[in-house]
Amino acid sequence: MGIIAEDVRRIRSVFESELASAGNLDEIQKIRVRFLGRKGEVTSLLKRLGALPPEERPEAGRVLNELRDSMEEDISRKESECEGKEVALRESGEWTDVTLPGRGRPWGAFHPVAQIAQEAIDIFASMGFSVAYGPEVEDDFHNFEGLNIPPHHPARDMQDTFYLENSLLLRTHTSPVEVRSMKKWGAPLRIIVPGKTFRRDSDQTHSPMFHQLEGLLVDENISLAHLMGCLEAFANRIFGRNLAARYRGSYFPFTEPSLEMDVECVVCSGKNPSCRICKGTGWLEISGLGMTHPNVLRAGGIDPTRYNGFAWGMGLDRIAMLKYGLNDLRVFFEGDLTFLNSTGGDR
Amino acid sequence: MLVSLNWLRELVDIPVDIETFAKRLTDTGTEVEGIEEPVPLFRGALTAKVDTIEIHPSRQDLFVLGIDASGGRRAVCITAARNLREGDIVPWGPPGSILANGTEITTRDFEGVISEGMVLSAEEIGLPEIADEFGILRLDPGTPPGEDVRKALGLDDAILEISITPNRGDLLSMVGIAREVAAVFPEAALKPLAPVIPPRAESLEAFRGITLDDPDCPYYALGAIDNVQIKPSPVTARVRLLLSGMRPISNVVDATNLVMLLIGQPLHAFDSAGLPDSEITVRSARKGEMILTLDGKTRIFEEADLLITSGGKPIGLAGVMGGEESEISGSTSRVLLESANFQSIRISRTSRKLGLPSEAAYRFARFVDPFKVEPALAIAMDLMVSWGAGVFGGWIASGDPGCATRKVTLSSGLLEKIISTGDLDMATTILRRLGITTADTDPLKRVYEIPSARPDISIEEDLVEEVARIRGYDLIKPALPPVLHSTGDITDRMRAERAVRSTAMARGYSEVITYSFVSPASISALRFPDTDIRSRPVALSNPLSVDISVLRTTLIPGLVQAALKNIRSGWRGPIRMIETGMVFIGKGEEVEEILKMGGCVCPGMDTRSPWGEQAVDDLHSVASDVMAIFASRGKTLKLVPGSEPFGHSGKTARAIVDGYDTGYLLELKPEIESEFELPSAMYLFELDMEPLIRGGNAVFGEVRKYPPVYRDISLIAEEGVCASDILELIRGLAGPFLENVRLFDVYTGKGIPEGKRSLAFSLAYRDPEKTLRDEDVDRTHGRLRELLMEKGIKLR
Repeated sequence: MGIIAEDVRRIRSVFESELASAGNLDEIQKIRVRFLGRKGEVTSLLKRLGALPPEERPEAGRVLNELRDSMEEDISRKESECEGKEVALRESGEWTDVTLPGRGRPWGAFHPVAQIAQEAIDIFASMGFSVAYGPEVEDDFHNFEGLNIPPHHPARDMQDTFYLENSLLLRTHTSPVEVRSMKKWGAPLRIIVPGKTFRRDSDQTHSPMFHQLEGLLVDENISLAHLMGCLEAFANRIFGRNLAARYRGSYFPFTEPSLEMDVECVVCSGKNPSCRICKGTGWLEISGLGMTHPNVLRAGGIDPTRYNGFAWGMGLDRIAMLKYGLNDLRVFFEGDLTFLNSTGGDR
Repeated sequence: MLVSLNWLRELVDIPVDIETFAKRLTDTGTEVEGIEEPVPLFRGALTAKVDTIEIHPSRQDLFVLGIDASGGRRAVCITAARNLREGDIVPWGPPGSILANGTEITTRDFEGVISEGMVLSAEEIGLPEIADEFGILRLDPGTPPGEDVRKALGLDDAILEISITPNRGDLLSMVGIAREVAAVFPEAALKPLAPVIPPRAESLEAFRGITLDDPDCPYYALGAIDNVQIKPSPVTARVRLLLSGMRPISNVVDATNLVMLLIGQPLHAFDSAGLPDSEITVRSARKGEMILTLDGKTRIFEEADLLITSGGKPIGLAGVMGGEESEISGSTSRVLLESANFQSIRISRTSRKLGLPSEAAYRFARFVDPFKVEPALAIAMDLMVSWGAGVFGGWIASGDPGCATRKVTLSSGLLEKIISTGDLDMATTILRRLGITTADTDPLKRVYEIPSARPDISIEEDLVEEVARIRGYDLIKPALPPVLHSTGDITDRMRAERAVRSTAMARGYSEVITYSFVSPASISALRFPDTDIRSRPVALSNPLSVDISVLRTTLIPGLVQAALKNIRSGWRGPIRMIETGMVFIGKGEEVEEILKMGGCVCPGMDTRSPWGEQAVDDLHSVASDVMAIFASRGKTLKLVPGSEPFGHSGKTARAIVDGYDTGYLLELKPEIESEFELPSAMYLFELDMEPLIRGGNAVFGEVRKYPPVYRDISLIAEEGVCASDILELIRGLAGPFLENVRLFDVYTGKGIPEGKRSLAFSLAYRDPEKTLRDEDVDRTHGRLRELLMEKGIKLR
């Protein structure tokens, strides 16, 4: 028994000093193996129990088991102490530069006109208008005659036209789709027509290709008030606030009466006499509009004695310029990435 | 049109300030685009009489003038001009006054003689066009001395630039504008112009008569001015013409132009001696007839043109321009003055065809009231006589001006429907101000008499517009249309376009819109063979420039051009551009429009990053982008080796969707790449949007209850054998439990024989009904290996 007791004391003292000096979980694990492992020192002592005289065995067994349990307890305590320290160290000792650029491809860029078209379409769709399309290469009937513009009519001078062979032309407005849609769907009808249009014109505010959004509503008992209601709702939504609107008389062969709509300058609200956007007038022209001419309804196969309607056309490029504060229309179609990606992208 | 406010005030009161005037006119549809003061800097000059003219004591080339500006203002002025006589009235700029170019006039010493200011030429006043001789501007005799020259010449004016819409031919005259002003401002009184029209003669002396041989000339009047003396017209008349945008020419011509501006009726003066015969016939041209017009150009006619002829020969192009042979000249002794009406469309057609937009043609094309023929002739002849251009020689006419009014009915119901008020009394009041009258008092329906000057009013809606615009559109209270018959649909096409946009943008693409027309060279650069329909674009008949002269048959040229522009302007980052839009294919008489989606990708020049080299865009990254776009509409896109004339022969893929060839994805042919001097490879794709439009939402799979088991397989294939073929082979042979095959490694090099490559796939097996046991999978997978080896595939 004496031998065992001495061993226990020795082991205990070595164990305690080793454990005290252990700095991490690995070292603690080594200590566990050295003392409590299959070939560990305590385990070896336990194996020697059988060699003791039978009367000493119970006491020696109890002592050894106590030793093992208390060591197990010490190791566990030490382990959780160490773990806590290591977790704390992981936060205090590690760092990453969160300002590094994101890895992988950045977001691209939308085209201002396509974006405006999408927003405009959604606004009008919420008012019950459906999208309609028509060809960009048109014939004379749909682009002119069906819209109450006979050959040699001076109104043709209002729109300088690109012609192709075979008396085809590039549509000068989205209005041809009015007649096509009336023929296709009849009345009642609510459509919007977003699309490319072409005129033989090029300067800072005119591009030979541009985009219009046409609208047509045909129903019974339709008034100018309804037209104004739709367009003002649109203007307020697309520019994000309630804008004053005003109307002026105008002339389009396919509407009667014909009007122009201006909205309060989205930049200066009329408060800046040298405003670059409204040129100090306080107003921005945004749409031509009017009540559909009976001849146009007839060209679309609709009985003008029963139905009437209204139509408008607006330049999407112009609305994009106003909304995003841009001043040169031609850059829209050059694909310049410094212009398009001014909000993001990598270069 | 340029409108002199002073002239307008002679015809109608203007009861408000000029800004309000311009705004209200604009609101009613007659847009005032600008207001300008003529020669704004010119200030302080007075009219003065030349009392004495002496030669300078020491300078033979100078004259010393003694001038009298009345009210005791006398002065000495030195001039070099030789055109003055004692008694002439001249503009005198006293010291301190300012010339049109902003120069201040001072006192100057001319070798001992002090010039107190200077007498002025037309150029110094800022109106060189009104000069009729070299030297000082001599004002009209009778001009009182001592007056401000601005007032004496009518320069104390405001010139309105007014845009007249094509339906309002009646507004292309001062009297028309005056009528409109009187309608817009109820408080403005119209000062009617009531010319005395001398009685019409049976015939003119030494003139056989007028023959109207074409219904497009319903009425033709001709006046004679005899003993003609061609001179400049009065200075004030010249100034008025100039302020209205026309050049002064001579008394006779200026009179015709002033009357056209006043009344709107174009007139033409013939030199009687230039007529081949003493008669005038109006008729259609015979094909091939020709004339030298006043602008010095030879014009060849077709039957559609309407001519003024004499003795069988053309002397003028009706309503457009006269001929040179009968042009007024210094030796003209008899003027035959034409005042006639011609049909709008006929004149418009000739004028547009010949590219001859004269003031006369512009007005006739927009309609001239036939009832203006006689008053215009009377006023013009009166003016010529009063200017001493000649003596009145009578007038004759042929045809008749037709009906003076036309009836149009307006119902209270339509008025109410359109402008939300059906008050016909209000309508009648407004219309009367426009010269439109009615005797009716019915509250529901009235018949109005429309004057011949307003052909644009022919239906009820036209009357509604007149009432609405004068009453003011702002009085209408906006409201949303009441009944919704269906919901608004953005359509599948728009949904497809949006899927392309959002997916591509999320993957780093910039959306571009390029011109639908391109240069022919940009298409031929793509090397399409003649048999390829894309090699023959539809051409514009009247392009703005060759760079945009043909309709694109593919989106590629526009995209490539945009990419090149970016590269050349120093863009170093990756280029990823996407566009959706139409391409145009000529098919006989028709042009087919096909909606395409196209893209252009170039890897960036600078690939450094904090994590080492960035993943560089290549054909495979672009493939993944395109597949993602199709996947977003529930479509699977398969690539197979293929070709395109401008594609790298080893790096071009055809895109198969729903079993159909839908387009291509390729690396640009190296030869073209070097032609464009590209710094790196360029990847291009173009696909039909049709499958995306047909497609719908993404497709979802079933939830699986039992876990998959994974096995790898690695094999060696001949280079050139496509991974997708082997993948298909594995799919076909692996049995029912194979759920997915994924290629995870492609290797050539050490350990792999030359000309071959190693491909490694990960296979996922799963039984939907139960958990697969390892030994089942081993058996299935082993069988697959055997089958592959039987097919001659070498496994690793």
